[in-house]
Amino acid sequence: MTRKGQTLRLLALFGLLLALCPDVPAQSLRLPPHEKLVLKNGLTVLLMGKRGVPLIDVFALVKTGAAADPAGQEGLASITAGLLRKGTKSRTAQQFSADLDYIGGSFGADAGADFTNISAEFMTKDLARGLELFSDAVLHPTFPQSETEKILAQSLDGVKSTKDEPQAVLGLYFEGYLYGSHPYGRPSDGDELSLKRIQRDAILKFYEANYAPGNTILGVAGEFDSGEMRKKLEETFGAWPARTVASAAVTAVPPSKGKKLLLIDKPDATQTYFAIGNIGVAVNDPDRVAIRVVNTIFGGRFTSDLNEALRVESGYTYGARSFFDSRKAPGPFEIASFTKNETTTPAIDLALQVLEKLHKNGVTAEQLASAKSYIKGQFPPTMETSGQLARRIVVDEYYGLGDDEVNQLEARVDAVTSAIAKQIIEKHFPLDNLVFVLIGNASAIGPAVKKYADKIDQRPISDPGFWPPPAGAQK
Amino acid sequence: MKAIWYRFAVLLLFSALSLAATQVWAQSQEFPVSTRTLKNGMKVLVQPDHSIPNVALYIFYRIGSRNEHPGTTGLSHFFEHMMFNGAKKYGPGDLDKVMEANGGANNAYTTQNVTVYQDWFPHSALPLIYDIEADRIRDLTFDPKKIASEREVVASERRLSVDNDNGGLLDEQLWATAFIAHTYQWPVVGWMSDIEHWTMDDLKHHFEMGYSPSNATMVVVGDVSPEEIFQLCEKFIEPIPSHAPPPPVTTVEPEQLGERRLVVHKPAELPLIMIGYHVAQTNDPDFYALNILRSILFQGESSRMYQRLVDKDQLALDVSSSVEPAFDPTLAIIVAQPRQSVDPQACEKAIYEELEKVKSAPISDQELEKAKNSRLVEFYREMRTINGRANTIGTYEVFMGDYNKLFDAAKNYSLVTKDDVQRVAKKYFSANNRTVATLLPENEEKAKR
Repeated sequence: MTRKGQTLRLLALFGLLLALCPDVPAQSLRLPPHEKLVLKNGLTVLLMGKRGVPLIDVFALVKTGAAADPAGQEGLASITAGLLRKGTKSRTAQQFSADLDYIGGSFGADAGADFTNISAEFMTKDLARGLELFSDAVLHPTFPQSETEKILAQSLDGVKSTKDEPQAVLGLYFEGYLYGSHPYGRPSDGDELSLKRIQRDAILKFYEANYAPGNTILGVAGEFDSGEMRKKLEETFGAWPARTVASAAVTAVPPSKGKKLLLIDKPDATQTYFAIGNIGVAVNDPDRVAIRVVNTIFGGRFTSDLNEALRVESGYTYGARSFFDSRKAPGPFEIASFTKNETTTPAIDLALQVLEKLHKNGVTAEQLASAKSYIKGQFPPTMETSGQLARRIVVDEYYGLGDDEVNQLEARVDAVTSAIAKQIIEKHFPLDNLVFVLIGNASAIGPAVKKYADKIDQRPISDPGFWPPPAGAQK
Repeated sequence: MKAIWYRFAVLLLFSALSLAATQVWAQSQEFPVSTRTLKNGMKVLVQPDHSIPNVALYIFYRIGSRNEHPGTTGLSHFFEHMMFNGAKKYGPGDLDKVMEANGGANNAYTTQNVTVYQDWFPHSALPLIYDIEADRIRDLTFDPKKIASEREVVASERRLSVDNDNGGLLDEQLWATAFIAHTYQWPVVGWMSDIEHWTMDDLKHHFEMGYSPSNATMVVVGDVSPEEIFQLCEKFIEPIPSHAPPPPVTTVEPEQLGERRLVVHKPAELPLIMIGYHVAQTNDPDFYALNILRSILFQGESSRMYQRLVDKDQLALDVSSSVEPAFDPTLAIIVAQPRQSVDPQACEKAIYEELEKVKSAPISDQELEKAKNSRLVEFYREMRTINGRANTIGTYEVFMGDYNKLFDAAKNYSLVTKDDVQRVAKKYFSANNRTVATLLPENEEKAKR
């Protein structure tokens, strides 16, 4: 969760760039050549041949995600995705697994807020079998009743298991407290109550309504022959009947006003896990590259202001960071760290001081130059494998960002000046309006943390759901 | 499970030494490795790959928590942190700042066996990286203020990954119970009371003991030529004098003569089980058959354990196994998370029954073929990034004694027979040879009483 992991996540999550500057020649970093085609049924296909190891990666994006879950049935999109491999018109769940494992293939399906993603990887020599398996799951799932019950019960225990790891649920509570009833506030994998309400009928309906060629982008990257790949795709995905799908829209939410604090009580915790932030920006925000540069300085790498203060200088924590999780509509901005019970308020105070300092002092020319080098130097390994590339081209296509998101990155990073950084800090790094979420031992830290906000909420971690408390959630 | 400790937490763990290679790969040798042993004894391995303009540089030191003693457990890991806190030319904080300002990033990890330093950077930063690495190998400094604050950082890391993490806590207890003589018995991060009591002298002694160039292997993969790397090594690394390596670890863990059991009571939503079996060290010939056996039992949703515990009987949320690369005989660990209101012993029983099945009847041809295919794909997954390749080449070199074993792995896996798989199942997975650790949720127990 801390530095290294964060940085990678940042780069992967939000490859955000800005249309500030004109084209600059001599870019060293470019997307490998790829082609786009649209099949007769409306399916958008992106193909990228790539030399290296003999593997092929397939990444399908269905333009509907957890944000479309009906209130009270959180987890529906995720469960639907999870069931794709659990029985098709020609295979039982066991047969699917046996066929997949025999070729050493991998398969994954999950729903995030904005979209559902389904991915697979197999060896080039197994292209025909691998693609047939992948298309079987996406096109012909049968959602058997027994498998549905099984996955719902497992997911429910999965939520409980996650609550044993404060760091894994901190973001869920934070997003719930920040967004309230807005779709981005809902747990994409559901909670202990919502998973009990999901029925097979709702899953079938969700699939029928959203899994359609016109609502899907398919990316393939790796070692393959383009002609053969087109032929195989026509044979499999070409047969997917076209269907009309209502497009999912997510409304933008304005940032939260004032200060509020949610304390999640975990009585055995010896460490407090905290998140501070507000609503950030959308994935296509014109400021996205400049934000990335400033956030690199503030909380996006090991020598960031936050990590320097909370880890390197004070030893309060193993790691402190900040990130913008950008989505179709504005996603969260979050400062996150953890510290032992005794240093909870000193660490939070220090994090807030670092934020104030950023506003007061801005960034130095030296910091700016360093952050630019860092972003440019660390970017190529995020586009190294066919799995990374398949995902990248599909997600950028979905968000309407295009190849310039990668090809113009260096130029756009270079265009960020101190003056621009100053505007970015004012505009995008909240100072007076902040949402706090803490997971920790309430009896040890409760009284001291009241000073951060006028509005204080509290609930035990063992109570079902996250935030807001679901109806009937009191134990 | 938690035997690897990072300077900062990472998403991807290159922990499992997954060994498989193809004849395709071995024959084509698309990325040949060049080697040189410097005059001070450090071996350098270079594999050029110009697909991205970046470089991954790994330095493996053959020192880890197995070289420690009671009272200073966790010192290797703490020392790993101190390697970033100032040397003669690059003072406290300079290393990270200079490296990031030049587009580079770093991390490091410590295990029971090795301490590994990792740099990732654009080709333009190459001379700088060598200057930094030479500086800290030759002239590390120990600032008392940095020792004090880094001690707190490591304590926070321990609270994060052990004290507030059920898996980390149970894993620590498992090793402490399974080993009574050998130094694998204490945690890599160290006991909290040892973290609080290391001294400056302990650190200095550790540096002198473990950080001779002759005790290290350097692996460089990426946008480089062997010539330029060897030149940089001659200039920066070769002049650093060598000294005696750490004294050998001579203690041999005596054979376990009966099952050991331990229970941890802790507030938790779900129970957790870990079962550790003593197995041979990484360079033992059984290694390949053991990996094939673990694939058949645990890899993928068609594996025997997943089918039985997760799918059919619905006893567990997940079930997996791990074996870390090790110089000495180590543990194969099975981890299972029982479902809500499932008796952990029911999970245990099902695991033992599946183990008995592979002992009493041969696996099928189909299963053997599947396991070999899985190992092959896994190999490609590790070899597709310069980072994964640097780690894999170094791991083979250090733990197998020769990176060329990487290219023999395909042959070694293809030689594994059904009889071999049955033989290793019988040899290692016996009741007398196991230690069983169970975490029971405290709240649930209270409710039952």
